[in-house]
Amino acid sequence: MIISRISQILSDFENLVPLFAAACLCLAVIGILTLPLAYHEAQLYPKTIDRASPLDPYDRGGTPFNATPVIAQYPENSPYLGYVTSYLTPFSLFLAENTLHLGTTIVSHPGGILDEILHNTRGLDTVVETSILFTAFAIAFYLFRRDG
Amino acid sequence: MYEHLMENIGGPVAFALEFGDIVNYFSPYTLTLFILAFAFTVLAVVSRPERQIDIAFGGDAYTAKVITLQEMRFRRFMAIACGLASMGAMVSGDIFNFTLFTSMVGITNVGIVAAVRNRHVLNAAYEYGIVAMAATLPLFGGAAIILATTGTLSIWELSSGTWTVPAVAKGLLGLGVIGEGMAPFYAAKAEMFRAPGAPYVIMCSLSSLLIFLRVIEIIITI
Repeated sequence: MIISRISQILSDFENLVPLFAAACLCLAVIGILTLPLAYHEAQLYPKTIDRASPLDPYDRGGTPFNATPVIAQYPENSPYLGYVTSYLTPFSLFLAENTLHLGTTIVSHPGGILDEILHNTRGLDTVVETSILFTAFAIAFYLFRRDG
Repeated sequence: MYEHLMENIGGPVAFALEFGDIVNYFSPYTLTLFILAFAFTVLAVVSRPERQIDIAFGGDAYTAKVITLQEMRFRRFMAIACGLASMGAMVSGDIFNFTLFTSMVGITNVGIVAAVRNRHVLNAAYEYGIVAMAATLPLFGGAAIILATTGTLSIWELSSGTWTVPAVAKGLLGLGVIGEGMAPFYAAKAEMFRAPGAPYVIMCSLSSLLIFLRVIEIIITI
């Protein structure tokens, strides 16, 4: 009896969002009750923020095409680890030398900052991220052009 | 190396595929799910879509729904993208990589039915899309808590038992996958299946089932 009742509630897709929101809320409350969670100091992808750097907040230190120490989970899988860090195209270099805001333009121009971690150790993530973006664009473009 | 670390419920790892820090693995469990996703993707590529016919109840009248080639092409493209994302999620050896593939499954599921010209289906897809969008918060939140509390995202490392993954992070991960794929609550998703084009809408169902099965394995393993 109760299963059929639950099934009836679930079958109406109008109830979907409130139900999911309630589930999220329950879990959030449980999460708050289990606080504090211990922060692990030895992070795999550490980061320091240098507000004076023109590449802030993407500055990971090091010089382009020189071996820079970068922490990786499996360094044997990334033989060229540390050789590509904050590589800048001539235009980006010009911006970095003359402004303090290159780090904020990472998405607005090509050849900005090649992040070592995004480029090397976690490159597959970067590929999937852009795939998600392009899939979303494809849906939006199709729907926009369909009736045109 | 990392071979000795993996003791998961899916059996011994036969093959590992390295992408830097992301080391995908093929155990009997993940390989089975991968083959399922692959087979259905091939099916979506080669099969001809159904032509849905509505028969008027109590009479001889029937109506055949006309679907444009352009719409079917788009839906096939989305079904293939969904299949590829499912394949990636099945063998991923990294929590964050898995969440990315899962969110891609969610968005392609919406894409498969977004092209349908049916108000009822679109309303269901809209509601589902809102949940899929909101589900990214617990999904990535779970991955973020795992990274913060353990310092790593690799399932290989997490399965070694050195780290204690908080239960709330596992819960968030599971809730995120439920929201993205709607599995196992198919009642709501059934409205989306009214859309014509059989092999493509089945991909919605299959991909969500697969990511749900995979997240169970991940939650038990880590």
